[in-house]
Amino acid sequence: MVPIQYFIGLSAILFTIGILGVLIRRNAIIIFMSVELMLNSANLAFITFARMYQSLDGQVFVFFVMAVAAAEVAVGLALIVAIFRNKQSIDVDQINSLHG
Amino acid sequence: MNYYIDPLTLVTFFPVIGIVVLLFLRADQKVHARWVALITSLITFGISLAILAQFNPANPDLQMVVNIPWIQVAGWNISYFMGVDGLSILLILLTTLLTSLSILSTWTAVQDRVKEFMIFFLFLEMGMLGVFLAQDLFLFYVFWEFTLVPMYMLIGIWGGKRRIYAAIKFFLYTMAGSILMLLAILWLGIYQDTFNVPELAAMGGIPPNLQFWLFLAFGAAFAIKVPMWPLHSWLPDAHVEAPTAGSVILAGVLLKMGTYGFLRFNLQLFPIASVKLAPWVAALAVIGILYGAAVSYAQKDVKKLVAYSSVSHLGFVMLGLFALNSQGVQGGILQMINHGISTGALFLIVGMLYERRHTRDMDAFGGLWKVMPIYGALTLIVVLSSMGLPGLNGFVGEFAILLGSWGAGLPGGVLGSPWFTALAALGIILAAVYLLYMFQKLFLGPVTKEENRVLSDINWREILTLAPLIILIFWIGLYPNPFLNLMSASVDQLLNAMQTAAVAGIP
Amino acid sequence: MSLNDLLVNLNLIMPITILTAWACVLLLVDLFIPKERKGITALLAALGLLVALALVISRAGVATSAFNGMIMIDGFATFMSVIFLFSGLAGIAVAYDYLIRSGIERGEYYVLLLFSIVGMMLMAAAADLIMVFLALELLSIPLYVLAGIAVPRPDSEEAALKYFLLGAFASGFFLYGTALVYGATGSTALTEIVSATTSGGVNLSFLVIGAGLILVGLGFKVAVVPFHMWTPDVYQGAPSSVTAFMAVGAKAAGFAALLRIFVLAFPPLAMDLTPVLWALAAFTMIIGNVIAIAQRNIKRMLAYSSIAHAGYIMMALVPYGQGNVAADTVASALFYLLAYMLTSFAAWAVVIALEHNMGEGRDTDGLSLEDYSGLGQKQPALAAAMTVAMLSFIGIPPTLGFVGKFYLLRTVIEGGFPGLALIGLLTSLVSAYYYLRVVVYMYMRDGEPVVRREPWLYFTALATAVGVVVLSIFSEPLFNWASQAVLKLI
Repeated sequence: MVPIQYFIGLSAILFTIGILGVLIRRNAIIIFMSVELMLNSANLAFITFARMYQSLDGQVFVFFVMAVAAAEVAVGLALIVAIFRNKQSIDVDQINSLHG
Repeated sequence: MNYYIDPLTLVTFFPVIGIVVLLFLRADQKVHARWVALITSLITFGISLAILAQFNPANPDLQMVVNIPWIQVAGWNISYFMGVDGLSILLILLTTLLTSLSILSTWTAVQDRVKEFMIFFLFLEMGMLGVFLAQDLFLFYVFWEFTLVPMYMLIGIWGGKRRIYAAIKFFLYTMAGSILMLLAILWLGIYQDTFNVPELAAMGGIPPNLQFWLFLAFGAAFAIKVPMWPLHSWLPDAHVEAPTAGSVILAGVLLKMGTYGFLRFNLQLFPIASVKLAPWVAALAVIGILYGAAVSYAQKDVKKLVAYSSVSHLGFVMLGLFALNSQGVQGGILQMINHGISTGALFLIVGMLYERRHTRDMDAFGGLWKVMPIYGALTLIVVLSSMGLPGLNGFVGEFAILLGSWGAGLPGGVLGSPWFTALAALGIILAAVYLLYMFQKLFLGPVTKEENRVLSDINWREILTLAPLIILIFWIGLYPNPFLNLMSASVDQLLNAMQTAAVAGIP
Repeated sequence: MSLNDLLVNLNLIMPITILTAWACVLLLVDLFIPKERKGITALLAALGLLVALALVISRAGVATSAFNGMIMIDGFATFMSVIFLFSGLAGIAVAYDYLIRSGIERGEYYVLLLFSIVGMMLMAAAADLIMVFLALELLSIPLYVLAGIAVPRPDSEEAALKYFLLGAFASGFFLYGTALVYGATGSTALTEIVSATTSGGVNLSFLVIGAGLILVGLGFKVAVVPFHMWTPDVYQGAPSSVTAFMAVGAKAAGFAALLRIFVLAFPPLAMDLTPVLWALAAFTMIIGNVIAIAQRNIKRMLAYSSIAHAGYIMMALVPYGQGNVAADTVASALFYLLAYMLTSFAAWAVVIALEHNMGEGRDTDGLSLEDYSGLGQKQPALAAAMTVAMLSFIGIPPTLGFVGKFYLLRTVIEGGFPGLALIGLLTSLVSAYYYLRVVVYMYMRDGEPVVRREPWLYFTALATAVGVVVLSIFSEPLFNWASQAVLKLI
C-alpha cells in the first residue's frame, strides 16, 4: 500500500503549483485553472485524511467542494468571456484601467 | 423621578440650545444668527455667575457634583461625573465671559457664513466648559478631543491666507499629544479600574517609575496645548491665521486647558513624579518665558507678537504651578485668568485694527494715538496689564509666581533655587521691552501713513467688548483677594495631599 | 436525518431559511416586474430583510446549535446577523437611485444581495469549517457578480475579475487549511478541533500550518496587509453601491468567521498565532493609512481606509488566546464592526450622492476630492454627515468610532500589547491627515459640487451619521449587547 505521506506530499505539491500558477501566469484562464488545482489539491488531502481516519466525513466534503467549484466556474468563465468581448484579451496585465 | 437639572450640566450644554435654534435659521439671516449666539452665550455666562453664587469658597472639595453611571458594563467603570472646585471655578467664568465678548467682537468682522461660525463657536464653548468640569477621565477626554473640531473649523474656514495649513497643523499637533494621554488614561482605567479622578487621586499606589511614564504621557498632551517650549510651533501659525474671535478663545481659554490639565491631573494623580520632575518642568517654563519674549521682540506682525508673548506668559503659569507651594499655584491659577483677560483683550484690539486697515504690519502704523485716542488709551491699559505693571492684574499673578518659585517647594523637590526666579524676572523686563516697543510703533510719533488719518475711533460696541476686561484688569490688580479666596482652600488641599503622597512615596 | 428533524433544524435557523426562500421566490417574481419598475423588487427585498431582522431580534437570547452542530445560533450570530441585515437595508437604500441613474438597474441586483446576506449570516453562525467554506462561497459568488453588474463598463468588469480571481485564490487557501486541520484533528467541527488539540496526540505542525492557511484565506476577505492588493482596484471599479455593501458586509463576515474560528478552535495555538496576528495588525494599520494619504480618488481612499480599519479590528484578535481577555476580544471587535458599519454607510451614501456620470457637460465623475469643494455651503446636511463619518473614522469623540477604538485599545492593552496600541494610535494620527483633507475640501474651498438629491441617499447618510453620534453618547446598551455576544462552546 502506498503510504499516506505520499498522498499528502502530492497534494502539497499540487497546491504549491497552483499558488505559483496564480502568481506567475498572466492569462486569466490559466490563473483560474491554477485556482482549481488548489481546490483539487485540497480535495486530495481531504480524501487522504478520510482514508487515514477511516471516516466518511472527508469524502463528503469533497462533494461539497466540487459543487462549489462548479458554481465558481460558472461565474468566473462568464466574467472572463465578458472581458474578452470588450478587450479581445484576457491577459491580466492588460486589464489595468484602475489605478490611484 | 426628579427633573431638576444640575447647574453644571446646564452650563455645559446650554450652548446646544443656541445651536439648535441656529440650525433653524436660514443662511442669510446673519443678524438673527448673531443675536441668537450672543444671547445664548450671555445666558451661559449668567448661569456661570449663578454657579459662582452657589459656590462655597471655604469648601476645598468638588461642589455641585453630578455623578451618574454612564457606561458600567463589560468591565467599564465610566461615569458622567462633573464637579467644580477652586481650581476650576475661575476658568468657568473666564470661558463664558470670553465667549460672549468674542461673539460680540465678530459683529462686523465675520460676514461670511455667520450661522456656521456661531454654531462652531457655541460647540467650542460647550467643549471647553466640559473640559474644565469633567471629573471622569473618559468624559474629560471626550470633551478635550471634541474642542479640536470646532476650533479646526474656525481657523480653517474663517482664517487668513494660510488658514488650511494652520488648521491642520493645529489639529495634528494637539492630537499627537492626546493619543499619548489616551494610552495613559486606558492604563489607569484598566489597572486602577476606574476613570474617576478624585477616586484615582485618593487611591494612589501607582509605583513611582510608572508615575513617571504616566506623567509624561499626560504631560505631552498638556504641554503641547499650553504650549511649552519646544512644543509651541503650532501656536504662532494657529494664532496668526485664526479669526480674531478664534484667537481670543485660543489664547484666552484653549491654552488654559493645558495648564489646567497639569494642575488637575498631573499634580493630583502623579504626585511623586510631579515633585521629581518639577525642576525640569520649571526649567522648560523659564526657557519658554525667555524664548517667547525674545521672539516676540523680533516680530513685525502685531498678532504674531502677541502670540509669542503667550508662550512667555504661559511659561510663568507653568513655573508657578510647579513651584508646588501655595503662592506659586495660586499665582499660577490667577495668571491663567490674567493672561486670558490681557491677551484676550490684546487680540481683540489687534482685531479691531485689522478690521480697519486689513494689515497687522507694525510698519504700516504710527501715531495712531492722534487719530484714535480712546482706542489708544484702552490699548495702553491692556499693554501695561500684560507687562505686569503694579496696580494692574498682571502684576499680582506674576509677583505671586516669582515669590512661589523662590520659596521652597515640597520636600523632595529641588525647586527653590533663586535662578528660576531671577531668569523669570528677566522675562518680565523683556515683556516690558517688546510690549512698549509695539505700543510705540503703533501709537506714538507722527502719523506716517496717509490712510491712517481717516481711521475711525472705536465705536460703542467695541468699547462694550473691551470694558468688562478693563474692569477686571483693575479689579484684580487692586483687590485680588476675592479671586484668591475662591481658590485657596482647594489649592491648599491639593498641596497637602501631594505632600502626604510625596513624603510617603519618596524614601 | 428525517424530514421532521430537517424541519426542526430549519426552524432553528428560521431567519436564514426565510431569507433564502424569499430570495428564490424573488428571483421568480422579478421576472414579472416590468423593467422600469424594479423599485418594487428593491422594496420586496427590503421587506424580506426586515422580516428576517424582526425574527433575529425576536430570537435574541436563544443559544442552541442546529444541523448536528454545524451551525450555532448564539448571541454572537445574532449580533452579526443584525449588522448584516442592516448593511443589506442600507445597501438597498443607497443602491436604488444609483442603479437607475447609472443605467444598470436589474432585479437580480437585489436578489444577489439577499443571497450574499444569507451567506454572511451563515458565516457568523457556522461552527464547522466546511460550513464556513460554504458560507464563504455563498457570500462571495453573488458579490463577484455584483461587482461586475455594470458590464460592459470596463471598470466594473475589471473589478469583478480581480475580485473573483483573488477571492477564489483565497478560497483555495482556506480550503487547504481546512484539509490540514482535518488531517491533524480528524474533524472540521470547531468544538472537536479544540477538544482533540487539548487531549493531545494531534499533528501540531499540520494544525498550525492549517490555521495559518485559514488565516490567509480569511485575511484576503477582510483585506489585511499583505492580502489587500485587490481591495483598491475592486472598491474603485465596482459600482459604488456594491462597494459600500461589500466594504461592510464582506469584511464583517470575514471577521465573524475569524473570530469564531480562532476564539473557539485555536486558543491552544495562541503561542504560535499571536505574533502572526500582531504583525498582520501592525502592518495593516501602517500600510493602509500611509498609502491612503496619496489617494485623490475618494473611492480609493475609502478602500485604503477600509484596509486600515481591518487592521484596527485585527488588533482585538491579537490577545484572543488569553482566557480573561478573549471575551473582550470578541465584544470589542463586534462593537467596532458595528461602529464601522454605521460610519461607512454615512460616508458611502455621501460618495454615491456626489458620484455622477461624465458627459452631459460635466468633465468629472464626482469621485475626486476636488469634486467635494464647497459641499459644506451647498449641501450642509450631507457635508455634516460626511464630517461625522470622517471624525468617526479618525476616532474623535463624540462618535462611535472613538468609543469603538477605545474599546479595541483597552482589549489590546489588557492583553499586554501596549506597543501595538501605540501603533494603532499613531496610525490614527496619520489617518487624521487624509480624512481631514475631505473636510478641508468640503468646508474650506469654494466650488459648485454636483449633488444628486435623492431622499433615500439623504436618509441613509443622515440616519447613520446621527446614529454614529447619538449611539456614542448612549452607548451602554451597545456595550452590554456586544459583551453578551460571547463565544462559548455549546
